[in-house]
Amino acid sequence: MIALLRSLRSLILGETWTIPLGVAAAVGIAALLRSSFGDHAWDELGGFVLAGMIALTLVGSIAHSSSRS
Amino acid sequence: MVVSATAVGVELLEALAIVLAVGVERRMRDALIGALAAVVAVVALCVAVGPALLSGADLSFLRVLVGTLLLLFGLEWLRKGVLRMAGLRRRSSSYEDYIEERDALASDPTIGDRDWAARIVAFKGVFLEGLEVGLIVLALGGSPGRMAPALLGAALALVAVVGIGVVLHAPLRRLPETQLKLGVGVALTAFGTFFTAEGLGVEWPLGDVAILYLAAGFAAIAWLAAVRLRVPSRYPAEAAP
Repeated sequence: MIALLRSLRSLILGETWTIPLGVAAAVGIAALLRSSFGDHAWDELGGFVLAGMIALTLVGSIAHSSSRS
Repeated sequence: MVVSATAVGVELLEALAIVLAVGVERRMRDALIGALAAVVAVVALCVAVGPALLSGADLSFLRVLVGTLLLLFGLEWLRKGVLRMAGLRRRSSSYEDYIEERDALASDPTIGDRDWAARIVAFKGVFLEGLEVGLIVLALGGSPGRMAPALLGAALALVAVVGIGVVLHAPLRRLPETQLKLGVGVALTAFGTFFTAEGLGVEWPLGDVAILYLAAGFAAIAWLAAVRLRVPSRYPAEAAP
């Protein structure tokens, strides 16, 4: 049962904590920026800001994994 | 539909490898009983939780939730894909999984007429892969008008994988699974970014075309990372295409 729960956690969150933490940070920061930016600026630029943070999460998780392997 | 079919197909291939291994090494009947029980459990879970999840929330929240789920899956597939392409991780192969699972079962003697060990191995493998299939289909089909293509893609993948299983397990060896998974990772990450941003009020330039330029961007990053990290493979047996 514990092995199954461990597999489920790995299924949803993956093998490392860098991706869930990075995604949570990206979505949280994007939500904060949305309330700080004007509506018009966020509508046009917000997607690229979020995509940039997701790209950083990807690069960070790859760098973290490659340094450990 | 294409993303759903590819993602579901790859997951089902992994489940198929486990069921075939259990069936060949022990008894096909026990493998199928375990697999069938897992399918029933996954379908019941999706039917119970899916509609409540999809109908109970407002659209913006749903898009952020769906997008976040897709990002978690997509980024993990991309990370693993880049490490595999760079030679830092064993290449993905359902055939290799099949051999490993078969060898593991061979070392465990059959107990009685009802082979519970075989049933549990088949159940666990199919349940976990099936749950991932359910989550991907729910996430991709979560937006209005997208459920039908997502389900159709999943159904096509199911037919294709069952076909491969019936024809024999040999085709498993010829599929470029590492590249397929990397491609699915790119697509899921692009969809995840698109939906999450839409849920946060973003209006993408060129509308749905944004998914294509997002995918191109993530693919470029993955390719650059794989090239930059590339080392001689530590897994020569799996390195052949």
